[in-house]
Amino acid sequence: MRTGFPLLIVLLLPLLSPAQPGGARRAGKTNPLGLTEAVIAEGRQLYNRSCTMCHGLDGELGDRAPALKGTRRFRRSSDEDLFDAVKHGIQGTLMPASPLPENDVWKIVAYIRSMRASAFDAPLEGDPEKGRAVFWETAGCGGCHMIQGRGGLLGPDLSNAGGERTTLSLREALTKPRPHIPPGYRPANVVTSAGETVEGMIKNEHNFSLQMLSRDGRLRLFTAEEIRRIDYGERSLMPTDWEQRLTPEQFRNLLAFLSRQAAARIREQGMAEEDLGR
Amino acid sequence: MMRRSVLAAIAWAALAPAQVSYEQIRKADPRNWLTYLGPYHGQRHSLLTQIDRSNVHRLTPQWIYPIKDANRLESVPIVVDGVMYVSQPNEVYALDARTGRLIWEYQRTPALRRGPNRGVAVYGHKVYMGTPDAQLIALDARTGSLIWEAKLAEASEGYWSPAAPLAINGKIIAGIAPGDHGLNGFLDAYDAETGKRLWRWNAIPGPGEPGHETWAGDSWKTGGGDTWLTGTYDPELNTLYWGIGNPAPDFDGDVRKGDNLYTECMVALDADTGKMKWFFQFTPHDVHDWDAVEIPVLVDLPYQGKMRKLLLHADRNGFYYVLDRVTGEFLKGVPFVKLLNWASGLTEKGRPIRVPGVEPTLRGNKVCPATAGATNWMSPAYNPDTNLFYVVAQEGCGISFKGRDTFRPGGFPFMATGYIEDPEEPWQMHVRALDPLTGELKWNYLQKGSKRYGAGLLSTAGGLLFAGDDQGFLTALDAATGRPLWHFNLGMRISASPMSYSFQGRQYIAITAGSNVVAFALFEDKK
Repeated sequence: MRTGFPLLIVLLLPLLSPAQPGGARRAGKTNPLGLTEAVIAEGRQLYNRSCTMCHGLDGELGDRAPALKGTRRFRRSSDEDLFDAVKHGIQGTLMPASPLPENDVWKIVAYIRSMRASAFDAPLEGDPEKGRAVFWETAGCGGCHMIQGRGGLLGPDLSNAGGERTTLSLREALTKPRPHIPPGYRPANVVTSAGETVEGMIKNEHNFSLQMLSRDGRLRLFTAEEIRRIDYGERSLMPTDWEQRLTPEQFRNLLAFLSRQAAARIREQGMAEEDLGR
Repeated sequence: MMRRSVLAAIAWAALAPAQVSYEQIRKADPRNWLTYLGPYHGQRHSLLTQIDRSNVHRLTPQWIYPIKDANRLESVPIVVDGVMYVSQPNEVYALDARTGRLIWEYQRTPALRRGPNRGVAVYGHKVYMGTPDAQLIALDARTGSLIWEAKLAEASEGYWSPAAPLAINGKIIAGIAPGDHGLNGFLDAYDAETGKRLWRWNAIPGPGEPGHETWAGDSWKTGGGDTWLTGTYDPELNTLYWGIGNPAPDFDGDVRKGDNLYTECMVALDADTGKMKWFFQFTPHDVHDWDAVEIPVLVDLPYQGKMRKLLLHADRNGFYYVLDRVTGEFLKGVPFVKLLNWASGLTEKGRPIRVPGVEPTLRGNKVCPATAGATNWMSPAYNPDTNLFYVVAQEGCGISFKGRDTFRPGGFPFMATGYIEDPEEPWQMHVRALDPLTGELKWNYLQKGSKRYGAGLLSTAGGLLFAGDDQGFLTALDAATGRPLWHFNLGMRISASPMSYSFQGRQYIAITAGSNVVAFALFEDKK
C-alpha cells in the first residue's frame, strides 16, 4: 500500500486547482487525510470489511442499510457529518458507533465521499500537465473532444469532465466499451430520398425527424419522408483501449488531467442572486 | 453497417465553411433570420410571401418547444439554414426549426437569473449571448460548446446583459444593464473570433469629455445610461445606431441638474472605432425613467423632394421622431399617443417644450405617458410596400413619485421611488400605423383588454403585420388597414417579437410566449 506522499499532495492541491466546483460547502471539519487515491483505497478495504454486514459491498444496497453511493441527495454529505455517523452511530437506527481508530474512520469517510464525489473533488495521483500533452498530442483526444473552446466537435465537450463525472466513470470511458452509445453521439449514414449519403453523428432522432452533425461540420435536418435509409454505426467512435495504447504513466496522467477539468469557473465565487440583494 | 476508424473521425468537421458570414447578414436572405431584428436596418419586414392576406387563415401551429423553468421569454429566435437558436437567461437551445426537436442545449452555471434575455447573435460558427453575470459568451453553433467568455462588466457591481448582441463585420456589439441602479452604461465591440475587446463607448462622459458639463457635480458617476436593447447598423455608413437608457436616480432630477448626456439619446457610432458621430437627445434631463432604447428603424425615403437616409424612432416619451441618420439632424417629431401632458410640443431642433410642473413629486403627480412609456422594448416595424411605420403604443398615465435615494454599490435600485398606474387614466394597448415621414396616424388596432405590453411587430411582404398581446393572442393584421385576419391564443403572455423564416420551401412564423417557443406555417392537406 502506498501511504507515503499523499498528504503533501492533499496540501498542495487546493493551491493548484483553478476552480472549486460544487461551490461553497457547509463549513465544518474536513477530512484531515484528504481524498487521495491511496486513502480512498484503504477506506474501501476498511468499508468492505466493516460496513457490509448492513450496507452492501462497494456502496451498493445492503440487507439492513441503504446504499451509500449514487447521485441522490444524501442527508449526511459533509465530511464531518459522515465522520460523526460512523464514529458515534445514528441514534434511533441500527447504525452503531464504530470502534475503529479515528484515522480509519476518516479513511472510510474518504471512501464514501469518493463514491459520490466528482473526479475533481477526489483528485488522482498523476501529473495533470503531462496529461495535457497526452490529451492533445499523444492520444489526440482533442480531435473529437473540446476543452475550453479548443478541440473537435464529435465527442462530448470535456471542459467540465472532472466537475461532473466521477473518477470511475472517467476511467471506464477510457477502458470499457459501452453497452449503449450515449444519446447524441451515435454515428450513422443517412441516405436521403434524393440519393445523397450524409455521414455524421445523430444528435436527436424520432419517428418523424432526425437531426445530425454531418462529417463536414454542418447541422443537417431531415424529416422521415426525406430519409430513404439510416445505416447506424454499431459502436461509439470512442476507443476504449487506452490502457493498452498508453503507458501506465501516460494513462494515469491523462486521467489526472481530465479530473482537473472543471469549467464552472465562476462557481468559486459562490455568488447567488440573494447575495446580490435581490 | 458503417465502420470508421478513429483517425478518419478526427478529420471530421474540419471542412465546414463559416456558417454565417458578414455578407450573408448584410444580404439578409429572407429564409434566414440572422439578427435580433432580422436585417440590419431593423425594419422587421420579412420578404417571404408564402403566407399572405389570402391564406393566413390557414396558419396552424407546427410545433411547440417548452423551455423548462421559463415563464416570460423575451427571446427572438435566430434561424440559420433551418436551425433555430433561442435563449433565456443563461441558456441557449438549438432546435430543428421545422420540427422543434432539440439539437443541443447550453446551460450556464451558476444560473444567476436577472432580467430577461432577448436573444443571441450568430457569426461564423459561433452563437453569442450576454449573460446575467455580465459576460459576453461565444458558443460553438454546432455543439453548444463554450468557446470564450468576455467580461462586459463586474457582475458583483450589479451589471447584467439582457440584450441580444449584434454581429457585424468580424465584431460582436454588446450592451449592458441596468442604469436604474446608478451603474453607468456603455456599448462594447468584441472580436468575434477571440473575444478581445476592440472598443468601448461610454454612455456617460467623464471629466474633460464633451457632454460632461451636462451633469451637476459628481452626479455623472452614478448617471446610468445603459444599453439594454439591440440597436441597428448601416453597413454603407459603417455606423451603429443605439438608443441609450435613462439617467439615475430615475425620478429625482434635483441631484443631477443638467441635460444628462448621453442618457435618453440616439447615438451614431463609428463601427470600427466606437467614436460618436452624432447624438440626438429625446428627453433632456429625464425624470420619468423613459429609456430611449426603443429600436431605431433605418429607411431611405424621399424627404421634401430629396432621397434621405432616415432614422425612425418612436420614443417611450410619446413622440415619434424622424432624424437624418447621416447627420443626426432632427426632421420631424409628433406625438403618437393622445395622452401626453409633459410637453406641449417640440422646438425646431426637436427639444421638448416642457409643461411646467409635470414631474414626479413627493406626493405623486400625474404624468402621461406613464413611466412604462408610450412604447417600450417591443420592436416596431416598417413595411416598404405600404410605406407605413408600425408601433405598439400604450395610452395611459402614471402617478410619479419623487424621493431621495442614496447610491449603494453592488447593484441596488437607485431610482428615488417610482410610479403607479393612474387610476383615472388606465392603460390601454394599441397597434398603430403611422406615416413614416409625418407621423400621421393611418390606422389603429385596439388590443381589447390589454393594459400591458405584449409582443413586438413583424411585417411581411405577404401584406401582413403580426402583433401579439399580454393575453397571449398572436394576431395577423392586414398591413394596409389594420383589420385582423387571423389569431391564435398561445395561452401564455407574449413579451417577445415574432419573426419569420423558411426552410425547404415552407414559410414559418415563430414567437416565444411564456415558457414556449411556437412555430406556425400554413396548413398542408396531406395524408
